[in-house]
Amino acid sequence: MSRLFYLGFSMLLVISIVLSGCSSGGDKKVNSNGNSEASNGTNKAQEMTFWTFQGLHIDFFEDANKRWNEANPDRPIKLKLESFPYDDMHNNLLLALQSGVGAPDIVDIEVNRFPNFLQGDIQLEPLNDIIEPEIDSFVKSRFEVYGKDGQYYGAPTHVGASVAFYNKEIFEEAGVSPDDIKTYDDFIEIGKVIKSKTGKPMLPIFTNGFWEFYPMISQKDSDFFNSKGEVTLDNKKNEEVLQYLYDLIYKHDIGVLAPGGHHEDEEFFAFMNDGGAASLIMPSWYASRFVSYMPDLAGKMVIKPMPAWKEGGNRSAGMGGTGTAVTNQAKDVELAKEFLAFAKLSKESNIKIYELLGFDPPRHDVWDSPELREPNEFTAYFGDGLFDMLMGIKDEINPLNITKLTPMTRDLIETNVLHNTLREKTQTPAEALKQAADELRSR
Amino acid sequence: MRQDSNLITKSGNVLKNVVYSPKKSLFYSQRLAPYVFIAPFLVIFFGFYFYPVSYTIIMSFQEILPGQIRFIGFDNYARLFNPTFYKALYNTTLYTFWTIVILIPLPLIMAIILNTKKMKAKTFFRACIFIPSLTSTIVAGVIFRLMFAETETAFANSFLSFFGFDSVNWKQNGATLMFLMVGLASWRWMGVNMIYFLTGLQNIPKEMYEAAEIDGANAFNKFRHITIPFLKPVTVYVLTITLFAGYKMFEEAYVFWEINSPGNIGLTLVGYLYKEAFQYNQLGFGSAIGVTLLVIVAILGFIQLKLTGFSSNGGK
Amino acid sequence: MSRQKQKKLGTILLLLFMLIPLIIAVFPLLALTLASLKPSTELMRYGLNIKPQFELWSLDNYTYLFTEGRVYFHWFKNSIIISLFSTVLALIFSSMVGYSLAMYRFRGQGIVMFLVLLIMMIPFEILMLPLFRMMIWLKAVDTYAGVILPMIIHPLAIFFFRQYSLGLPKELMDSARIDGCTEYGIFLRIMLPLLKPAYGAMGILLALFSWNNFLWPLVVLRTKEMLTLPIGLAGLLTPYGNNYDVLISGSVLTVLPIIIVFIFAQKYFIESLSAGAVKG
Repeated sequence: MSRLFYLGFSMLLVISIVLSGCSSGGDKKVNSNGNSEASNGTNKAQEMTFWTFQGLHIDFFEDANKRWNEANPDRPIKLKLESFPYDDMHNNLLLALQSGVGAPDIVDIEVNRFPNFLQGDIQLEPLNDIIEPEIDSFVKSRFEVYGKDGQYYGAPTHVGASVAFYNKEIFEEAGVSPDDIKTYDDFIEIGKVIKSKTGKPMLPIFTNGFWEFYPMISQKDSDFFNSKGEVTLDNKKNEEVLQYLYDLIYKHDIGVLAPGGHHEDEEFFAFMNDGGAASLIMPSWYASRFVSYMPDLAGKMVIKPMPAWKEGGNRSAGMGGTGTAVTNQAKDVELAKEFLAFAKLSKESNIKIYELLGFDPPRHDVWDSPELREPNEFTAYFGDGLFDMLMGIKDEINPLNITKLTPMTRDLIETNVLHNTLREKTQTPAEALKQAADELRSR
Repeated sequence: MRQDSNLITKSGNVLKNVVYSPKKSLFYSQRLAPYVFIAPFLVIFFGFYFYPVSYTIIMSFQEILPGQIRFIGFDNYARLFNPTFYKALYNTTLYTFWTIVILIPLPLIMAIILNTKKMKAKTFFRACIFIPSLTSTIVAGVIFRLMFAETETAFANSFLSFFGFDSVNWKQNGATLMFLMVGLASWRWMGVNMIYFLTGLQNIPKEMYEAAEIDGANAFNKFRHITIPFLKPVTVYVLTITLFAGYKMFEEAYVFWEINSPGNIGLTLVGYLYKEAFQYNQLGFGSAIGVTLLVIVAILGFIQLKLTGFSSNGGK
Repeated sequence: MSRQKQKKLGTILLLLFMLIPLIIAVFPLLALTLASLKPSTELMRYGLNIKPQFELWSLDNYTYLFTEGRVYFHWFKNSIIISLFSTVLALIFSSMVGYSLAMYRFRGQGIVMFLVLLIMMIPFEILMLPLFRMMIWLKAVDTYAGVILPMIIHPLAIFFFRQYSLGLPKELMDSARIDGCTEYGIFLRIMLPLLKPAYGAMGILLALFSWNNFLWPLVVLRTKEMLTLPIGLAGLLTPYGNNYDVLISGSVLTVLPIIIVFIFAQKYFIESLSAGAVKG
């Protein structure tokens, strides 16, 4: 504050010399005291700051903080929770970590931005000592996306198991059942029936979101990179998946370009809500979007495993996610880690993940607990049995290879590859993937 | 004139000594006065602009990872020669071109109409046309996104269908997206530029027109030989700020697609900078984009100012 | 008689012609205000339109802001404080620079003018990291001062004040000097009153810039209670679900106060802007 004071003072001097006689411009009472909450009685609570880009996580951590203080009255924590817009939170974090000052103690980092924070001297604290004791109860692949060189840096929020959402009403109208779909070939056959009987398309396909393409290649045991981190985006399997999506639209006439092109677009919500398509392939966290923005579909949607490429193949993939990390600027790293373990790794916290956020908790030993069977807004919307279904596919989720090029890969797919092949049809799948892969290799 | 006594009474006591000091001191000389006037500017400039700009130039020659910084010469600049950069440069230039084409003649015409004797309710029109500039780009963006949504019932498409046209996917296509971005900028800036031109118009002495009328000049002649020359300074001003704002454009694109648009149809130079520096953590490369942008704008700006004869009468 | 008629016809044609920009300017804001009265699901489904569905109208979205979304008013207060200080300071400094650039001839004048134009050309995004480091050094992160300081010289305003001052009568300076005025006295006592319209006009524009400023406050401000309106509102749009109800009504409430102030001040504002001389 003192430097600021001198600066301000010398500026004021200049103004007052020049504007002597001018009444305004004088006392500049700029207040630096931002902490409006005064400490409310807790005995020497350790202050911690938490940043997120998702307002819902604020409620979640508020709840965890309360439970922690009840369980550990000798070591209370006073958590300051702050949420920022998605891009801006990650940018601010980057600036703060680069500058060595101003970062929060605990922070939510989205999976596609995570690699940015695993470069150079890593500014996040390794979490192995709190993760390793618990890891066997977890869907292990969810830790690997937040790790580097055998160290884990983030605690996952959900599995993000990709699933298929089917509109029962449309299926019934066409006289078919979602349970008849076992493979992607079945998907086409049933889709054709639905199209001919009801005129409705089977699947909306996003051109600005990779939430169909990515899980579908993962099901084929493919990825953007191999385990050594080399670019394999343009391999044969990925090409086949892209061709499949293309054929759905232009050959079989059962796919449709998603209005708005992105899964969070107002246009798309409206389209789905009006029963615009019979199915949707998305990670399971998308269920919350149905509940919030597509009220007319309540009771009409069912959640099933994705079709497999061939009978017995993988029926899901883990997509998206948020890793909660502890930064090296944390005031008390050990306490922050312990709190993080309490808030996200414990059995109780994973039940809370479902209760408060509606996500599929990454800890699979809670999936059969009774709390996850209790009726809530999700069971009211989609019916029961969600977790029995998830239990059935938990071993069918391949790990993903995340590298520092992952953020760029996603952008290339979402800006060029899908757009050029599916919407503009200016490139064949092979050409588009090759071009993107070459660009990645040149970095 | 003894206004110094006033100065004492109104100013704080700290300054009494200064005011009592002899008149002919250096501090009060005509030579030093301008420097005192610009002193705060220089402090702020060197404090908050000079250091950051120099720092950015240095960063543009570095590879920057947390805790690991090394000089890599011109590598960052060499990387600029790629299709994405060209696309961003193309989009930005096209956007600037259109904003100049729209945001200079149209406000000028409106200003002329609002300045004629025949026109009624001038104040009302002026105020209403100015109102959009009160909104932020973020709010304006929300409005535009909703009005130009793909749904058939959204305003723009229901307007089209009323006249028997098909719905348009406004955001998906390069040309229509450019239309939206330019439209957004035009909507917000039309009123401001109109006011600038009105300023210029009201400064033309009425006698000029009267004299011309006596000489038998018709409306066109008056416009050609009086209005246009008198409006030149204002036009230079508006052109300059439009040009600079055009190349610095970011928010108008951001509100539609954020950073990643299909086929990069909404990528601008600043957007590219933002994406590389912050989304990919390539602060060095991002800085190189920024420095390049600065050089491009500086060259264009000074060419433009030279051509329009701006610098000729500074400080006469 | 027919000449009279012709004149009237001309007026009507002009009025009709000007109606087009008028509608384009006002309509979207009107539509937004209407939308803010409807539940957001309606907006999702049909996009922004002007169907007057009275049965759907309610003030629920606003009630939410006034009850659960109370932090909104913190944002409001912050926006007002920041806009006020940065506008007043920017006016003082910019007018001083603009004035001296126009009225004096001094060594380094060209360089100063060049610096002004340079600042105008710098995309702010490239300054963010170093500027942020400076704010840390000044311990100004998450303070009002941190937001205000870099904004107190505004190249556009300097440019404007220079152009405006060029139109001031220089003869007055000389006679004032003969009367024993100091250079600062001339500025304060004689030129300042003449510059009043310019202050009025630039004051409104600068306040607008500051009120709507987004990127820099976003980097500097941290605590939820310290945020400004545009940032707070943008925070309601997240990739995992947008809070449209609050966003729309919040947007309307952001624009509304300025429109009201503007309606009251507009006569003074526009008259003053138009009375001024922008010369190059």
